[in-house]
Amino acid sequence: MKKRIYGLIKLIAMVPFFIAVVSNLAFAESKAISILERADKAFTSAKIYSVATMTIYKSGKPRTVVEIESYSMSSRDKYYSLTIYRKPARLKGTAYLVIDNDLWVRFSSTGRIRKLSSSARENSAGGSDFSYNDMGESGKGMAEKYNSRLLSDRAVIDRRKCYEIELTPKESGKDKSSYEKVVVFIDRENYHYLKIDYYKSGANIKSLYLSDYRTVGGVDYPFKLTMESHTEPTKTEIITTEIELDSPKVKKSLFTTSYLKRIR
Amino acid sequence: MKENEKLDDTAILGLLGKWGKWASIHWEKTLLIALVITIVLGSGFYFLKMELTYYSMMPKASPKVRDLKKIIENFPAASSIVVVLEAKDRRNREKAKETVTSAVDKLTEELSKPKYSKYIKQVHGKLDIDFFKNHGLMLTKTKDIRRFEKIFSDLRIVPFITNLNNDFEREYSGNEDKFSEDEDIVTSQLQGLREILLEMKDSTTGRVSKDKLRDSLSKSIDKFLFGSPYFLNRDGTMALLYVLPNFTINDMNMFVEGVPYLDRVIKEKADALGVKAGLTGLVVIAKDEMKTSEQGLALSTTIALILILLLMILSFRMYSAPFISGIPLVVGILWTIGITGLVIKRLNILTAMYMIALIGLGIDYAIHLLTSFIQERDDGHSFTEAVALSFKKSGAGIVMGALTTAVAFFALTVAKSAIVKELGIVAGLGILCELLAMMILVPAILGYRMHRLEKKGKGESAFLMKYKLEHRVISKLAKSIKSKPVLYLLITLAFGIVLSSQAYKVQVEGNLMNMEAKGLESVELQDKMVEEFGLAPDTLSLVFQDIEKERGIIEKIKKLDSVKEVESIIPFYPSKEQQERRSGEILDFRKILESKDTAGLTNYIDTSRLKDELSRLKDNLLEMSDLAYSADMEKTLYTLNSITGLDNEGNQVGSSLIDELIDTIDKNKNSSAGLMNFQNYFQSLMRSKLLKTANTQEITLSMIPSNIRNAYISGDGKNYLANILPTQNPWVKENRKVLMDQISTITDKATGMVLAADQMTEIAEHDGIKAAITAVIVIFLLLLIDFRNLKLSILTLLPLVLSMSTLFGIMAITGIKFDFINIIAVPLLIGIGIDDAVHINHRYLLEGPGKMDTVIARTGKAVFLTSLTTVIGFSSFIPSVMRAMKSTGIVLSIAMTLAFFFSILFHPSILIIIREKFHLNILPWGGKKK
Repeated sequence: MKKRIYGLIKLIAMVPFFIAVVSNLAFAESKAISILERADKAFTSAKIYSVATMTIYKSGKPRTVVEIESYSMSSRDKYYSLTIYRKPARLKGTAYLVIDNDLWVRFSSTGRIRKLSSSARENSAGGSDFSYNDMGESGKGMAEKYNSRLLSDRAVIDRRKCYEIELTPKESGKDKSSYEKVVVFIDRENYHYLKIDYYKSGANIKSLYLSDYRTVGGVDYPFKLTMESHTEPTKTEIITTEIELDSPKVKKSLFTTSYLKRIR
Repeated sequence: MKENEKLDDTAILGLLGKWGKWASIHWEKTLLIALVITIVLGSGFYFLKMELTYYSMMPKASPKVRDLKKIIENFPAASSIVVVLEAKDRRNREKAKETVTSAVDKLTEELSKPKYSKYIKQVHGKLDIDFFKNHGLMLTKTKDIRRFEKIFSDLRIVPFITNLNNDFEREYSGNEDKFSEDEDIVTSQLQGLREILLEMKDSTTGRVSKDKLRDSLSKSIDKFLFGSPYFLNRDGTMALLYVLPNFTINDMNMFVEGVPYLDRVIKEKADALGVKAGLTGLVVIAKDEMKTSEQGLALSTTIALILILLLMILSFRMYSAPFISGIPLVVGILWTIGITGLVIKRLNILTAMYMIALIGLGIDYAIHLLTSFIQERDDGHSFTEAVALSFKKSGAGIVMGALTTAVAFFALTVAKSAIVKELGIVAGLGILCELLAMMILVPAILGYRMHRLEKKGKGESAFLMKYKLEHRVISKLAKSIKSKPVLYLLITLAFGIVLSSQAYKVQVEGNLMNMEAKGLESVELQDKMVEEFGLAPDTLSLVFQDIEKERGIIEKIKKLDSVKEVESIIPFYPSKEQQERRSGEILDFRKILESKDTAGLTNYIDTSRLKDELSRLKDNLLEMSDLAYSADMEKTLYTLNSITGLDNEGNQVGSSLIDELIDTIDKNKNSSAGLMNFQNYFQSLMRSKLLKTANTQEITLSMIPSNIRNAYISGDGKNYLANILPTQNPWVKENRKVLMDQISTITDKATGMVLAADQMTEIAEHDGIKAAITAVIVIFLLLLIDFRNLKLSILTLLPLVLSMSTLFGIMAITGIKFDFINIIAVPLLIGIGIDDAVHINHRYLLEGPGKMDTVIARTGKAVFLTSLTTVIGFSSFIPSVMRAMKSTGIVLSIAMTLAFFFSILFHPSILIIIREKFHLNILPWGGKKK
């Protein structure tokens, strides 16, 4: 079951780790790099526990609101993530485990576990407007994949003056980004990411808006992420309701298929 | 620039005075002259065509429009009428589905009858399944043929379900195709599977007859293998029927007659079949445009005429005023239409609208002539003297004003696009025709009226003396402006600047559909098609000569995020290499099928394994339904729920078909016999159908069903068409931009109604600006010639500039957008809007410094009246259902009101300040200071 299915799984697994998108940005051009480095500082934590709600809007109308509980960590160059559905009732107990590029899913309706292909990084995630690539990469970060160029220091997003930085992929082959370029807008005053435009085949196909920054553990996090598609009449909103950095709830024993089987 | 009293003593004025006198005395001869002109120009009606569609306005020289025209002419299916059928009662889905599919069949049969052949070439409401039954595997990708080899390698029920489960589970781990694109096929196959399971259950009980089992199983297998042939919506309660008409959008006469006829017939027949029908498609929308434009124009004409003639009665307190002014007005419009027929041979939406605006413009000449005539009569002149003097005093001003306005309009012919050129010519000719009609007919009708009064022994002076110009309000205002010019200047300037500051936000309408009439069925059905059928309301098209070249381009376009699907002949006509490759796989598949021909006819079914595999199938279907729920695939979810017994929220609300089947197997002692019976039929039917579809015969173009050929191959067989279905409504500008940005990385040859409309907006925008600049330059030059003073000429332009920028500001604030209709009308505003300030200039120069109160008092009412009639002319479009007409009416009415406001308040104030406070010379070069 194709793009949406893989996308869904990858998305759910990656929801709390949007942080990785920004934390991994490292760039060639010095000014752009220094700006990005400051912006990325807010997004470093080894173990993260979070609860979030995700709403997909179609033609402006909200569809089911999904509540997800997520655990993630990085260890020995490996990326681990476990995401468990709490709401709605139909999907309660559905869980997704990611270890680097390997994915498993537990279906609540049958209790069965399946290993999934990791080849759908660029696909739509569960009918949402996010893709695996948008949510961050396990292992290699975007910093290693993109060249950067400062386009403007006078861009304006929501009446805020921003740096506008263009990112173009460095790598080729299977690690190559699915986007031909990404343009990020960073607040000049507080170095918050405000908007990220994704380009494919010559067009801006979607935009991510980051807002509701709140200070958690001394760093600012965007509690609201909105991905707006420019090729479908949809947008997806992810609102973090709870987040713990360096959380004691995150243990390596969670990231196993045997734990996946025990989830109810 | 309608009054120019400085030229009183020229020869022209003498001539005009003489003419007025002669025409009023010899009114019969004059009327005869008018009749001759009417007959001559009236011949133009014969050549005139009403082309009230947006399509007819598209720039014909544009390559995109040329390609579009070529597509419409060469590919009959481009003009298809889409009939959207909806079950009247949609509560019971299954029943509603039966009703619509039955209606599709019956309507297809009915509309295919010879009695409809005048308008209908072909009807199709479902896919030609036979073609797929005979050549299905040749149309299937090699990797999928291999999949089929695995699924259908053993057609006994236990191995078949096992292989099906393996395939379902394989789906979870490898295939990356877009599921949403396959939703219809997947859903249909799941429906087929559900029916197969039901047949199996019934067989297990042994209650079903052999014949019935064979028939129903055959249908279920067809559905499982080939999907539903009908074009159904998400829940199966709506269907599409395609009617290929005998006409295209280029055959205006045919579609204007044919579409309403078909609309009536189809709706009547559909109603009797328990379904509601609605028609859409290019020709239907064009017909609706024609109809709503005509309705809008008729309504506007009525409103404008009634209001203006009422205004004439109220202003002049003469019951004969509407006739004296109205007859020449209407005759002038008829001459304009006639001459348009001779010169341009058509009226488009814009020029047809102008004919109504002309009511408000042409009446101005009558107002000036009548005002002047009445004043002369009040001064005690005889009838003929009064006519002569009114022509002598006002005639030159009117002629001069009309000529300058006409020149400004003719200047629009500098434009690149035909529609702007046409408007310039028609507008200029309209002004000249109105001028001519007024100059000929007003004195003649006055003469006739006098003749009638004399015959009845009545004088007119007592009657006319009732007419008094209402000076009180205007005089009060005039005095106030004279005493506080700085205050008026600052207030009006502040008003203008505040609103103008928002002008940069004004937007251009990028969605042609927003210019159509609101509530138009054909347009609303397009939205319904998006919502219910997932079809884009419009496609982009590509025309190819080389089908092999087409394959590569289409493959690339298909991969674009903004493209949902590319429809072409290619899926039905694989390349030779593809066919050769597939032939090999098909032969292997045939071998597998043939080798097991008798293997299934055994007497044993492992019911225990069957139950295990059925349980596994249930799990697979449950997981699929979880995923369908997450991905909002309603159609698939509904079908899966009908098997699993779940509702959308995952609650067990019904019995699970598979559980029931297992239960039946467990409880029924003779289940094995029933299952054996089912298996024998299933194997035999499935094998024969698969063998039929596993056909290695090479597919040629002539073998492809005619409805598909009509859609994608040109009549002469030389061109191939590909339709690009976007993921979003391409009429929306932002969606169109993303789509075009992506497609242009592959090809620049895409065309379609939506792109042609886009180009029309671009050209109109470009031409509108160009024409507006030209109009300003021409008017400025005319002002320079008229006033022979640079300062005064610039000052005269100021109210116009202020009213235009304020208009843009108001549009931005109120959300009124420019569109390709109203943007083209802007240059007209420049030609008309300048008039008020020019009148004030002339009078001020005549009266001299310190007399601005007299100037406003004397010209105020005429300026007010002429502005009011112009506003009435334009505002008569506002009640129109056609949104483009409505917005044009609003924009032009606001503009004219603003022009009057700034001319009467701002312009006199600045003239006083410049001339009387700063003592700057505004007199003509070489003229004496007063």
